[in-house]
Amino acid sequence: MAKDMTLLWGSGSPPCWRIMIALEEKNLQGYNQKLLSFEKGEHKSKEVMDINPRGQLPAFKCGDVPVNESCAACFHLECKYKSQGTKLIPDCEAGLAQILQRVFEVNALVEKSSNVIYYNWKVPEGERHESAIKRNKEALTAEVKLWEGYLQKTSSGFLAGKNFSLADVIVFPAIAYLYRHGLSEERYPKLTEYYKNLMNRPSIKATWPPTWKETPGQDILKDI
Amino acid sequence: MAKDMTLWWGSGSPPCWRVLIALEEKKLQGYNQKLLSFEKGEHKSKEVMDVNPRGQLPAFKCGDIVINESYGACFFLESKFKSQGTKLIPDCAGSDNNCALIALIMQRVFEGNTLHQKMAEVFMYNWKVPENERHESAFERLKETLTTEVQMWEGYLKKTPGGFLAGENFSMADVIVFPSVALLLHMGLSEDKYPKLAEYYKKLQGRPSVKATWPPTWKETPGQEIFKDI
Repeated sequence: MAKDMTLLWGSGSPPCWRIMIALEEKNLQGYNQKLLSFEKGEHKSKEVMDINPRGQLPAFKCGDVPVNESCAACFHLECKYKSQGTKLIPDCEAGLAQILQRVFEVNALVEKSSNVIYYNWKVPEGERHESAIKRNKEALTAEVKLWEGYLQKTSSGFLAGKNFSLADVIVFPAIAYLYRHGLSEERYPKLTEYYKNLMNRPSIKATWPPTWKETPGQDILKDI
Repeated sequence: MAKDMTLWWGSGSPPCWRVLIALEEKKLQGYNQKLLSFEKGEHKSKEVMDVNPRGQLPAFKCGDIVINESYGACFFLESKFKSQGTKLIPDCAGSDNNCALIALIMQRVFEGNTLHQKMAEVFMYNWKVPENERHESAFERLKETLTTEVQMWEGYLKKTPGGFLAGENFSMADVIVFPSVALLLHMGLSEDKYPKLAEYYKKLQGRPSVKATWPPTWKETPGQEIFKDI
């Protein structure tokens, strides 16, 4: 039941957003939720640590059971609420395989984006190198081109198969994050088409990060 | 059918090992397999690239279906062969207890990513980072991060008296995470500092699926002491 679920989340965080999209798609509106601020360090508050000892968002409880890893929560919600809302994992084998492949490839996309976007946050000044920044950007460029290629091969406009699936729930936030940070719309037409199409999907519209509506994004990724 | 499956793998690579264990647990012995060498760059060969354009191992085909992500392959095998071999994820529809157990298994499965990533950053530091960009301070920081992570897993094992990562039985959590734990211990993690992890490692070493798929290169050469300071 939605009322037994609690989500502590931060605006614009792709992992948090995944769970929110999944909850909407499975018709689980009405869950308890609390928007917290990373800037104010609220992800390290006792309230969060009680659910997620890692002090990270999302912190998500399904009844008494914590499931803080966003992909775990999404799989769990699909499994538990299989018969309601959108079917995020089809019954057919080939469909399942393609979804699984794309879902787990998201790690590569997120890691490479992070290495560019958060470089200065992760790496102390004395350890930064232009050569590293360049290499990280090249790696991200190659990765983004790969996803552009995936979308060129699917005529449906979704990442896996003919319909919106768990692959889109999990990967879309990471792609939206790229555009928020300045990814060129012209250079990646298929990705842009995907991004703009899904922006209008009810579950995504309903959960669009509030801070993204208020402030403009950055342009760190404009050279990618 | 096992005969329709092919796995390209490298010895000692936790992602490859996960799939090998899953295949054993689901009683799919008889699959086609090819052991390749990372050192010789065989993961970038045409044979692998044809299956996995990322040029990474594992590369896995089940008939015409390709799943190169180890988590994806393990989930796929469990789903397709649900009724044979070990049940790696309990059935969803069922008691609330099952629900809580499934959630715990999934939680640990996905946390396994974090463990593996932090371990890889230490293990692969000199391989990934060009010499002129290396810093003692960076390496120290990566080791500290890994230490915190390993302590967390030691804590998880203290809380599960069954001796497995999620409850009383071997599950998908163990398929996914054991290979990373094994790599840590094989490469010098202190058994005195982490008694629960050491106990877990020794317990699972004896499990048939793990024994059957123990990395061949580990039998030949002792591990390096990369993680002794963790």
